[in-house]
Amino acid sequence: MVQCKRFAVGVMLLMTCLLAVADSSIVVRDAWVREAPPGAAVLAAYFTLENTGTKQDKLVAVRCPDFDKIEIHATEIRSGVAHMIALDALPIPPQAVVKLAPGGYHLMLHHPRRALAAGMSIKLELRFDSGARVTVVAPVRRAQSGAAHHH
Amino acid sequence: MTRKTLISVTLVAALGVILVLGYLAGRTFRDPARAVTVAGMTVLEPAAPLPEFRLHDQNNQVFDRARLQGKWSYVFFGYTHCPDICPTTLVILRDVQKIAGGKEQGIQYIFVSVDPDRDKATTLKNYLPYFHPEFIGATGGQGELIRLTRALGAYYEAGEARGGSYEVHHSAAIFLIDPEARLRALFAGPHDAARLAQGLQRLKGG
Repeated sequence: MVQCKRFAVGVMLLMTCLLAVADSSIVVRDAWVREAPPGAAVLAAYFTLENTGTKQDKLVAVRCPDFDKIEIHATEIRSGVAHMIALDALPIPPQAVVKLAPGGYHLMLHHPRRALAAGMSIKLELRFDSGARVTVVAPVRRAQSGAAHHH
Repeated sequence: MTRKTLISVTLVAALGVILVLGYLAGRTFRDPARAVTVAGMTVLEPAAPLPEFRLHDQNNQVFDRARLQGKWSYVFFGYTHCPDICPTTLVILRDVQKIAGGKEQGIQYIFVSVDPDRDKATTLKNYLPYFHPEFIGATGGQGELIRLTRALGAYYEAGEARGGSYEVHHSAAIFLIDPEARLRALFAGPHDAARLAQGLQRLKGG
């Protein structure tokens, strides 16, 4: 009987693991936050998203207790004019890699609730259309020039 | 006699129209025809003199046309509520400063905020030293900002308010002003520190 119970728990645990794996066909890499001048009202965060699954997914929201609000943004240059576009969702096609990098897609982090300087880090919870949630640790870094070209 | 007069008047009027059209065409097409783009830098030939304008800097001192005289100036338009492209460009300008030099070499770096409602002198004073202590921040009334941006062929426009905030769309270019306060060249981007520094070197040498 005890063994049976153990077996059942084991099966449940295994299933939970499988579900988690099935859920997280999104891999998040190289997350970082651009250190901003003291008192800056907004910061940007960047990372690489990889969809290892066979279905399109979308990044729909990001949560972090260190900011009042987080939005998914794109910088687009149209006829020489830089536009900041707020996106409802960022699609990640199956088997594709989507990079958030300076001058392109980025998270706009509104009103930091604590002073963030290089060497510190924040935890971002990324929420996807599929229901998957991925938490990543993003170190705060001082951006070096050419950061746009390194990734 | 009356007929002759009428013909004369018509001829003079026609000539006048032709002259005006010719003048307008010349004014419209002169500048692009003389702008040459090499390695991402568009050089204006001749350089375009800037009109008078009146902004203030991060120390609340007047920042006008006279502040551009006697130095080369790299000018970039942006705003501090811009977390991506503005700091990216300011980091690149910091690197240009490392290569080309600053005050001692007669070169200044100017960040003009096109978001004067949120960017006060103190905002700029807190923001800019992070990138370089010599960087100048300037802003002012919309009328003065429009006067300067128009003269440079730059553009900015505040986007719609959303959730208590708004974006400001702005030219991504970096403008190079010569020591006679004339627009000499512009870099359309994507920006590269070495290329920005070399561009000025070429203009100084030539």
